[in-house]
Amino acid sequence: MVRRLQRPILATAGLAPIIAILAAIGLVVVGVGLALFNESQIRQQKLREATVQADILAGSVTAALSFDAPRQAQQYVDALGVNPEVEAAGVYDSAGKLVAGYGQQRGVSPPPANRIGPPQLQANRVIVSRAVAEGGQVFGSVYLRTIQEPAARRVARYSGIGLLLVMAALVVIVLGAGNASLSEAHRKLKVEMAERGRTEEALRLSREQEAAARIELADRRNREALRQSEQQLAFALEAGGLGSWEITLDSGRLQASDIFRHACRGARSEQPLDTVAGLEACIHPDDRETLRRALARAADERTDLEAEFRTLAPAGVEHWILLRGRAAYDEEGRAARLAGVSLDITERKAAEERQRLMLAELNHRVKNTLATVQSIAIQLGRMAPDIATFQSAFLQRIVALARVHDMLSSVSWRGAQLADILQQTLAPHVAAAGEGERIRIEGPSVQLGPNAAVTLTMAFHELATNAAKYGALSAADGQVQVTWEADDPQAPRLIDITWREVGGPPVAEPARRGFGTRFIERGVAREFDGTVNLSFEPAGLVCRLRIPLSLKLRMAA
Amino acid sequence: MTSADVLLNGKRVLVVEDEAFVALMLEALLEGFGCDVVGVAGTLSRGLEYAADEALAIDGAVLDINLGGEKVFPVARRLLARGVPFIFCTGYGVAGVPGDFAGVPTIAKPYLEETLKTALVAQIG
Repeated sequence: MVRRLQRPILATAGLAPIIAILAAIGLVVVGVGLALFNESQIRQQKLREATVQADILAGSVTAALSFDAPRQAQQYVDALGVNPEVEAAGVYDSAGKLVAGYGQQRGVSPPPANRIGPPQLQANRVIVSRAVAEGGQVFGSVYLRTIQEPAARRVARYSGIGLLLVMAALVVIVLGAGNASLSEAHRKLKVEMAERGRTEEALRLSREQEAAARIELADRRNREALRQSEQQLAFALEAGGLGSWEITLDSGRLQASDIFRHACRGARSEQPLDTVAGLEACIHPDDRETLRRALARAADERTDLEAEFRTLAPAGVEHWILLRGRAAYDEEGRAARLAGVSLDITERKAAEERQRLMLAELNHRVKNTLATVQSIAIQLGRMAPDIATFQSAFLQRIVALARVHDMLSSVSWRGAQLADILQQTLAPHVAAAGEGERIRIEGPSVQLGPNAAVTLTMAFHELATNAAKYGALSAADGQVQVTWEADDPQAPRLIDITWREVGGPPVAEPARRGFGTRFIERGVAREFDGTVNLSFEPAGLVCRLRIPLSLKLRMAA
Repeated sequence: MTSADVLLNGKRVLVVEDEAFVALMLEALLEGFGCDVVGVAGTLSRGLEYAADEALAIDGAVLDINLGGEKVFPVARRLLARGVPFIFCTGYGVAGVPGDFAGVPTIAKPYLEETLKTALVAQIG
């Protein structure tokens, strides 16, 4: 835009001083011309005036000449003295002789003789000679010499005009030059402005380019950073087994990552999961309202979302999913989106459930154990003759009880093998070296529940203590044989356990039943709804237990 | 003999309790109260047999709720049908008792002799 103006201005500006000079010259020429024209007009005018005056004089003196009256002629001639331009005048007779003459100053006079001729224009004088005639008769002539404006004055007058002209020309030149320099300055300014415009344009372009380059660079870095952060996020999510999801609240659209989708739809499902309704359809009916409320609360109360729900996987395997998330709000503060992560917490839930059951079970066990201890204390207390006997008997049973608890704890109270509890109960009563010969434990694998394990351990403890004190294990070569078998190996319904002592001192039926005997014969038999037979045979004590298989006691696979 | 012992004296009591030691203690305690223990069942099936035996006269019962993984409630219903009063004792606490036995006294293991006596007197005295 700026560039387009610069050419024509430059051309006009170059011509301006020339035009100004030419105009000045023109002015001077016109001035001089006018002066010359004026001068010639004035001279013609003067000539006509002199001629007319000469004619008037000629007319006036006609009578004087015709009547030969020189005095009258002299009067007319002298009358011309009123006109300062008349330098000299004369009246001549027909012979050409001066009759009357007038001279403006001393020494100035008309010529003595006159000769009629055309008017003469001299340098600064006009000389006119006219004949004095009437009716074809010539009586003489007149002579008139008038003075033009003196040359000096004329020069002065014209030089004034000339001066004005020169001044006008100078003014024109100065104005022209001024205009020219103004034009030049203007032109330069324009050029400069155009230059500056170009520079600024270039600068602006370069700044724009720089800014664009910077933005491009920043953009590239941002994209790179974003890509990296997305990769890291995806890696972290996958590594952590976390799904990600986002709900657009007004449309109910759901964006779910594969992990989240598979958690809800099943691992092999290709079915899309892109609406909240679709998500709800995957959820256990009992948990749908819970999730709905949790989502609404997170959006309304600006709290972190945390919800757990069960899914209905097509395979029928129930999965627990934990959702964590947060709402995002638009400029008006309305919840626009909910987004977050998901985690399959099925394992955790199962562990929690196991733990809950275990805690309840443990509580139950502690109570039962205390009840057992209470029972032992009460029964021993009724039988013991003194406190020392009671204390010793009581502590023995407490230690035995503690030992079986230890064993069951080590297997998380899942239970124990019959062979194992026998081994553990009998082992402390024989020297390690002779164990193999003095104890015989033989029978198919029988798995005991924890309660059965406690009861049978306590029963065998009573038998073992008795054997060590009075029975087979009190003699150097005595042997305890514990064997068991199922009634029908193909379809077992009950198991027969036989505790037999051999090689010990002779045995006699005790006078009264003690704590241990009472416990085995009555307590064990009733707990298992079986039969127990204690027989004090002379060769050694034999205890036969016939126990039906049940939840408490079963043949191991 | 206290007045409570008079009230419980000669009462025919059924015990359903699967823990051998606890059953023995309970039997001893009841005998101490002057009761006649007509049966001690360690399993649900044995308990049901006793409860269903119309020939067996029962004045009251002490029922352990958990019997080796089974619940004693079928026995309780049977006794309820027969109009035999009973009390529950349990290591689990009261939470495990169904609504239809809401009014039945429940004592938690381990219990004092006096606690057992008071509950029994309230039910069958």
